[in-house]
Amino acid sequence: MSLVVDSVSKRFGPVLALDATSFSVEPGHIFGLLGANGAGKTTCMRIVLDILRPDSGSISWQGRANTDLPRRTWGYLPEERGLYLRMPVIEVLRFFAALYGVPAAQATAEVGEWLERFRIPHYRDRRVEELSKGNQQKIQFIAAILHDPEVLIMDEPFSGLDPVNVQLLKEAFLEMRDRGKTLIFSTHQMETVEELCESIAIVDAGRVVVSGTVRDVKRAMGRQVVRLATEEADGGDWVEQLPGVTLIRRGEDYLELQVRDGADPRSILAAAIARGERVTRFEIADPSLEEVFIEHVGRPAAVEEERHLAGSGRGVDR
Amino acid sequence: MSGLFPNAWTVARREYRQRVQTRTFLIVTAVLALVGVGIPLLPVAVRLIAGDETTAVAIHSTDPVVQSQTVVALGAILHGDSDGTRWEITAVGDAAAADVRVRDGDLDGLLTVSRAGDGELAFDMLTEAGPSSQWLFAVRQATTQLSIGDRLVRAGIDPTAAGGIFAPTPFEVTPVDPDAKSPEETYGAAYMMAMIMVVLTFMAVLTYGQWVAGSVAEEKSSRVMELLITAATPRQLLSGKVLGTGAAGLTQYAVVVAAAAGGFALEGLVAERVLGDGGSASLESVNLWVLAPFGVFFVGGFLLYATLYAGLGSMASRQEDVQMATGPMLMVGMVGYFAAFIGLNTPEAQWVQVASLIPFFSPYVLPIRMLLASIEPWEWLVAGGLMVAFLFGALWVAARIYSAGVLLYGQRVNFRAMWRAVRVNR
Repeated sequence: MSLVVDSVSKRFGPVLALDATSFSVEPGHIFGLLGANGAGKTTCMRIVLDILRPDSGSISWQGRANTDLPRRTWGYLPEERGLYLRMPVIEVLRFFAALYGVPAAQATAEVGEWLERFRIPHYRDRRVEELSKGNQQKIQFIAAILHDPEVLIMDEPFSGLDPVNVQLLKEAFLEMRDRGKTLIFSTHQMETVEELCESIAIVDAGRVVVSGTVRDVKRAMGRQVVRLATEEADGGDWVEQLPGVTLIRRGEDYLELQVRDGADPRSILAAAIARGERVTRFEIADPSLEEVFIEHVGRPAAVEEERHLAGSGRGVDR
Repeated sequence: MSGLFPNAWTVARREYRQRVQTRTFLIVTAVLALVGVGIPLLPVAVRLIAGDETTAVAIHSTDPVVQSQTVVALGAILHGDSDGTRWEITAVGDAAAADVRVRDGDLDGLLTVSRAGDGELAFDMLTEAGPSSQWLFAVRQATTQLSIGDRLVRAGIDPTAAGGIFAPTPFEVTPVDPDAKSPEETYGAAYMMAMIMVVLTFMAVLTYGQWVAGSVAEEKSSRVMELLITAATPRQLLSGKVLGTGAAGLTQYAVVVAAAAGGFALEGLVAERVLGDGGSASLESVNLWVLAPFGVFFVGGFLLYATLYAGLGSMASRQEDVQMATGPMLMVGMVGYFAAFIGLNTPEAQWVQVASLIPFFSPYVLPIRMLLASIEPWEWLVAGGLMVAFLFGALWVAARIYSAGVLLYGQRVNFRAMWRAVRVNR
């Protein structure tokens, strides 16, 4: 039985944050919630966690309404990181574990294991404020999973991490999935989603525009991408003459083409051979998630993020 | 809905430890404790410093009989006063030399006595002391007494009989109800005690209430809040916060009150050692066990205010907004405080009786009635019952405000939003 979000709506004053949002997450999957800032991802997560109540709609996990589930069902990593800065790492973690009913001895042992895994065992008795942002984020991740939750919900878990820590966190995700946990996270980084997620939902302006397994979502776009390279490297103007084919990118030594629904990608290869081109590469691929996102939302996710950051910085003296 | 415990305990324990361990807490508590011990001992210290001084007054008169009579009589009258001032009354023959000694500060004053043509005594004091000087006032009173005695003698009354004229008249006060009214000095001490309790209660409620509200706002601004409300229910967090911070506040309060009580207890002993006489420990005349039931109302009232402070604190996003968000509590507290002060003078009034039953006011008004009037058993029951009911009501309302407030960031604290929060669930 999966996690089901069923036509959930939530309004904050004049803003309709969620508009009949529906999607479902299979148990044991890693699920990506994609959307620009303000699309409603955080609100959606808070409603699933039952710290906000929807105006209408319902949420269930394993067939039980989220309002009836014990709090320890969920682990949560909020987007705005926050811990008790003046407390030692071990005490903060034991405190949150205690709130979830984890015995102190068990919590202490598990904290030790996770600190090892994240390569920061020497920070155990330091105050949280002495740690770097990246390391605080790892502590916060540990705080979210110490009580062994069935579902782990994380809001932008990778933001602000350096590549090494991103890798450590990805490994932790896979570890949790191998333990049979269900993971839901939001992000702008499409590569991470491609790498980790079995299924996704793309949210825009409070509505789910598409959801499902990554492969189904890509296929549902009804078009495929062809990457073609020839020894002639003649610029490939001829391909645009072909019906249903659009040149979307001119790479260093290859062409990336989009093939509309109904057209056969192999006709491009046939046409190339007919022209006497010597083909060195021919590849039929599903569109990237980035392309899927642009197709559905009308603009790239990352650009939206930069615009948002620039916008929020405008009020600050620079 | 899950129960309050054990999560409320977990929160309270963290809150208490974190609070009590801070350097600010330790320093403030130590300073307040010192002040607590110091205040009762202050009068002893003042007397110790001032007590060494002797007021020296020289008496001069051209009439040797008048002079010697004045020295003896004035000395007797002044030494008879028991305010502790030491007098040195001497006769001087050389007025000019005494004049110089006054100007040099050797003498406090030179009193020149003369008898006018109509036989009346006239006094002239040469001194540097100002008109509000206490010893000058005492001398002046004594000279009046001296003059009256002198007039009586001149009117032909036997000087030995004249002494009897000034003897105090017996005057007794008989209370209508011998149990209700206490003797005069006990009543005065009880009045003072009631006043101290009102002030202390007011300070405790406001200071520690602010602590609770500030601590909630801090969790919000540091963004720990989102983790907390995922892990525990608003009611658990709220009651844990109130219990933990409240216990830390009461710890400080107990230390300070104990220090002050110790100061009062020591006052007599210290005064005896240092000054050679007893202290003025008038509080001993108040039966402090009378106050035991008040402890219950103090804690109850404290919890009531602190719970609402916590709820209102959740509306503030930053420390700066806390004052504004908790404004209503300050106003309610002030009403109780002033009501208590007015009630001090009319402890039997009906409105005082009513106010002493209302939970928001009872912690202020009850000690007044306890010390200065009497309280029927049924009134205890009503006041206690209302307190418990209000406590549960406050927890319900505060949890509502809290669960809505903790996720509101950057918005101005406004009471319409608060009201909406109470009515609508999240």
